[in-house]
Amino acid sequence: MEKVRYLLKQHVGGPDTPIVEEGQRVRRGELIAEPSGLGANIHASLNGTVISVNDKSIDIDADEEQNKDDYVHIPDSDDYLTDIKNAGIVGAGGAGFPTDVKLSNKITGGYLIANAAECEPLLCHNTEVEERYANQIVRGMKYMMEITDAKVGYIATKKIHHAALLALGKACKNEPNIKVKLLTNMYPAGDERVIVRQLLDIVLKPGELPIKANAIIQNTETIKRITEAIEDRKPFIDKDITLDGRIKEHSTVFENVPIGLPAKKFIDAAGGYISPHGDITVGGPFTGKTGTEETPVTKTTGAFLVAMPYPQAHKKIGLLECECGGQEPRLREIAEKMGSEVVAFRRCKRMVLVNGRYRCSLPGICPGQAEAVLGMKKEGAEAILTGTCQD
Amino acid sequence: MSITKETAMDHAKDPAVLCCRAEGGITIEAPNLEDPSLFDDYVDSGLLELPDNVLTIEQVLGAKLKETTDALIPLTPDNVDDIQSVSDDSSDDSDADDDDAATDSTDDASTPVENTDQPVQSTVAPVVSSSSVSNGSIKIDIAEGKGIHLEVPMTATAVQDQTAAPVAAQVNATENADAASNNDATSSDDSDASSDDEVETKVVRELERDHFKIDKVVFGDKTEINGTTLTIRTPKDLCKEAADTEKIVKDMALEIITPDDYDKYSETIMDVQPIACKKEGEIGTGVTRVLDGTVFMLTGTDENGIQIGEFGSSEGELNKNIMWGRPGSPDKGDILIKAQVTIEAGRNMERVGPLASHKAADVIVQEIREALKKADDSLVVKKDEVQQKRHPNQKRVVIVKEIMGQGAMHDNLIMPIEPVGTLGAKPNVDLGNLPIMLSPLEVLDGGIHALTCIGPASKETSRHYWREPMVQAAMDDEDIDLVGVLFVGSPQANTEKFYVSKRLGMTIEAMDLDGAIVTTEGFGNNHIDFASHIEEIGKRGVPVVGMTYSAVQGALVVGNKYMDAMVDNNKSAQGIENEIFENNTLCPEDAIRALAMLETKMAGGKIDKPERKWNPNVKENNIKVIEEHDGVKIDVEPNEQSLPKSKKRLEIYEKE
Repeated sequence: MEKVRYLLKQHVGGPDTPIVEEGQRVRRGELIAEPSGLGANIHASLNGTVISVNDKSIDIDADEEQNKDDYVHIPDSDDYLTDIKNAGIVGAGGAGFPTDVKLSNKITGGYLIANAAECEPLLCHNTEVEERYANQIVRGMKYMMEITDAKVGYIATKKIHHAALLALGKACKNEPNIKVKLLTNMYPAGDERVIVRQLLDIVLKPGELPIKANAIIQNTETIKRITEAIEDRKPFIDKDITLDGRIKEHSTVFENVPIGLPAKKFIDAAGGYISPHGDITVGGPFTGKTGTEETPVTKTTGAFLVAMPYPQAHKKIGLLECECGGQEPRLREIAEKMGSEVVAFRRCKRMVLVNGRYRCSLPGICPGQAEAVLGMKKEGAEAILTGTCQD
Repeated sequence: MSITKETAMDHAKDPAVLCCRAEGGITIEAPNLEDPSLFDDYVDSGLLELPDNVLTIEQVLGAKLKETTDALIPLTPDNVDDIQSVSDDSSDDSDADDDDAATDSTDDASTPVENTDQPVQSTVAPVVSSSSVSNGSIKIDIAEGKGIHLEVPMTATAVQDQTAAPVAAQVNATENADAASNNDATSSDDSDASSDDEVETKVVRELERDHFKIDKVVFGDKTEINGTTLTIRTPKDLCKEAADTEKIVKDMALEIITPDDYDKYSETIMDVQPIACKKEGEIGTGVTRVLDGTVFMLTGTDENGIQIGEFGSSEGELNKNIMWGRPGSPDKGDILIKAQVTIEAGRNMERVGPLASHKAADVIVQEIREALKKADDSLVVKKDEVQQKRHPNQKRVVIVKEIMGQGAMHDNLIMPIEPVGTLGAKPNVDLGNLPIMLSPLEVLDGGIHALTCIGPASKETSRHYWREPMVQAAMDDEDIDLVGVLFVGSPQANTEKFYVSKRLGMTIEAMDLDGAIVTTEGFGNNHIDFASHIEEIGKRGVPVVGMTYSAVQGALVVGNKYMDAMVDNNKSAQGIENEIFENNTLCPEDAIRALAMLETKMAGGKIDKPERKWNPNVKENNIKVIEEHDGVKIDVEPNEQSLPKSKKRLEIYEKE
C-alpha cells in the first residue's frame, strides 16, 4: 500500500479541478483533474483508490500489483496538438508551462530548439535519457516542427555530455533540417535566452520569450513525452529524475517513475541517506526549492538532492540575488538555517524589473560585484551569501 | 575536450579542430583544440566533417583565429591567419613515418639527425632508430617525431669500427641511454645485409622428445603399451580409484573416442592434454616421451548437469564443436581418451570444483605415464631435438603470457613434475598471479597445466602451451634474442590487476629488453590488466605488441597509447565467441604477424592505426604485406565455417 499524491498545481496557471471522488477506483492513465483556465490535465500514474480530494491535491492509495505497460490511453485524435493537450504535457525542465499552449504559436520558417543542456549541476537524467532515446527525441522534434511550421530544428547541448552528444548526432545525421548545436559549458547555458543568444545570435531583453526570435525551446524530456503521447497514446504520468547528494548511491537516475510518489521512496532506493545530512532540495542546486521526504514527484521535478547539514555561521551577512541562482526567499531561508543575521540585501546590477519579476539582462555574462559588495560591507555585512552563476 | 600541450605535440600532424567556441582574434593554443582521438566518433555521428584543406595542429599552434568560431569547426586557411610554417624536419619525419620512404643517402640521413632535437625529453626515447644496410646505402627510419632527442655534436662522431656507416655511428653515439640497443641494431644490420653471416648463437639447454605412435586404444586388465596399442585398465576400477581421490568428484567415466565416433555427444571440454612423461631430467630439459595419435580430454558437469565452464561451453557433438588442429585442440584422427567427471552440485563455479576434476583425472593420465615410462625404447618412432638458443647480439625480446587467475576455474598449475601433470605444480592464483618466468622449453614441455574454463573459443588448453605457436616462432627467429616466457596471472579485482601489472613493469625494466609481446586468452575482464601490462612495458620505452582475441565481441574495453600494435587472434567469420572449442586461439599465423609488428616497431617503423570497427581485411592485408616482404607463403587456418553447424551456431550465432 502506497500513498501517492497528485498536486493540483504542477504547471503554470491555476490549480486543476478534481473530477474524482473519495473512494473511487482509478486506473493508471485515467484523467483525474482538469484545468480551469491555463493549466494541464492530470492523470493517475498508478492503479488505486482515491483516499482524499482537497483543493491542493488528490491522494490515492496505490494497489500493490501494478503494470507499468498498462495504462488508459489518451482519446483518439488526428491532431498532434490535441494529443499533447490531452496528455497533460507541460515543460518538464522545471517551468511547467503547458506545452500545447506554447506549441499553438506558429513560428513559420523559424527554429524549434531542443534544450539538451542539462544545465544545473548534479542533474544527469536528461543526459542519460538522451543517450538512449535520441531517436525518440528527434522524432518528437519532427512532430513539433510540423505543428509549429518551424523550418529548422536545433538540438542545443554541451560537449561535456559526450555520449549523449554522439547519440543525438547519430539520430539526426540523416535529418536534413535538424542539427546539433553546441553551447558553452557554463551555468546557465540552458537558460532560454542564453540558448537564443548563442545559437541565433539574438539578444532577448529580460522577460522576452524565444518566440520573439521566432524560436520555441523545449526541454528534451518534454519532447520525449510528446513522442510518447503521439505514438503510444500515453499521458504524462511518468517522470525522469536524478537523485544525488548525501545518499549512498551517488548520481542515480530513475527513469519513468510514476508521478506522485514521495521523495523518501527514491532516497531509499538510492541506498538511503549518508549521515549526517541536511535538507532535501527538490530540483537543481541553483533553482531548486527545499522539500521534505513527503514531497511528491510532479511533472516538473528534476531531482531530489540531499544536502549536507547547514554549516553554522553566526555572522552578519549580506544577500546578493541573481536570476540564475536562489532567489531572495531561498537565500533568507538558508541564512536563517545557518544561524546568520541578514543585515543587507542587493540584487546583481543586471537584474531589471519586468512584469513584477526581476530578470537578468545578460544571463551567463556576469558583471563585477564590487559596488554591491562594498555597499553591503558598509551596512555591516561580514560575509555574503549569493547564488550567482559564474563558476 | 581541450588538449594539453603534450597531447598537441603527440598529434602534431593531425587535423586541428576547435574544441570550444573561441573568440575571433585569439592566438590558437593547445587548450583551444579538440582531442584528435575523438574525431572518429564525431565524424561517425555527423558532428564533424574534415575538409581537404584542414590545417594540422602544428600549423595552427600560435596562429590567429580570424573570427569567433564554434566548437567542432575544423580550422582551415579560411578561418585562420598566420598559419605556422612547418620546418623541413617535419616532412622528413613524416617521410620516415612511412616505412618505405626512408632516406637513402648518407647526406639525407643526416638531416633528421640535425633537426629533431626540438622536444627535449630526458626519458629514454620510446623508439629511436635502427638502420639497415642495403645496396651499400644506409636506411635510417625514425618513428613519430616524439621523444626523439638526438643532440649530435657533428664533430664528435664516429669512434666506431663499423665500416660503411658514419651516419649509423652518429646515431649510435647519441643514444647514451640506448647504447646497448644501438649496438644490437648495428649488428643486426649486418646480418640483414649478408645472409651468409652467422648469427651468434648460444645454446642454453636442450630437450629431446621421443615420440611413441599409438593407433589403437583399448580397455584391458592392465595399463600398458604394446607396439602401437595403448591398453587402459578396466575403466570401472580406474575411474573409481581416480574419483575417490577427490571428495567432491562424485563420478567419473572414461570413454575411448575413435575418429569414427567423432559425432558422439560430449559434455563441455575442460581441457585437452598431451600424454607425456619425463624419461630423463626435469621439465624443460632431458628426455620427454609423448604419445602421438592420442590425447587426453577432460569434460564434465556438476551433479545437476550444469557444464563446468564460464562464458560459454562446448558441449554437443564433438565434430561440430571442436576446431580441429588448433594448437590446443585434438587433431583430426587423434584417438580421444575422454574422461567425464561429475562434481558435487553447485561446485562448478567454485575453485575447488574444476581443480578437483583435473586432479582426479590426472590419476588416470599418471597411470598411462607410468606405462609410457616403462615402454620399450624400440617403440620410439621419432626423436626431436629442441634447443633453447640465445642470440646475444640480437634484440632482447620477452613473451609475456597473461593467464587467467580470477579464481574458480580461472587458474593454471605451473611447473608440475610430469609434463602437464598436477603433482608438484603451484596454482598461479596461490602465487598471487605475480610474474613467473619459464624458459621456452619449460613451456613446450608441459610446464603449464591449464585449468582455465573461459569461453571455449579463446581459452588456452594444456595442449596449447605444449604447442605454443608464439613461443615456437620466437624460438625459431634468429633476428631476435628470446630471453624467456613470463607468465602473469589475471586476478579478479582491479586493484590486484594493477598490483600485478606494476610488478610486471618493474621486472621488465630490470631485464633491459628491446621488445615484448604480450598475449592473453579469453576477453573482457582480463583486458584491463592486459592493457595495463602493455602500458607498463611501453612507458619504459620497450616496444610492445599485444595479442588477444578481440574482433567484435571481445572488443577492447580499455586502451592506452602504447597499444598501437595489436594482433587480433580472431578466426571466426563473425568475429565472435561462438563456443567452438579453440577457434579463436593464438595460431602460427598470428605469431608471424606479431613478430613482424614487433620487429617493425623495434626498427622504428610505424604501425598503421586500426580502423574504427573490426575489419577482417586488416589481418588479410597484413598477411599479404608480410608474404610479399619476406617472400613466404603464410598458411591461414580454417575457421568454424569448415565444420558442420553446431546446435548453438544454428540456434544462436548463425540462425538461418
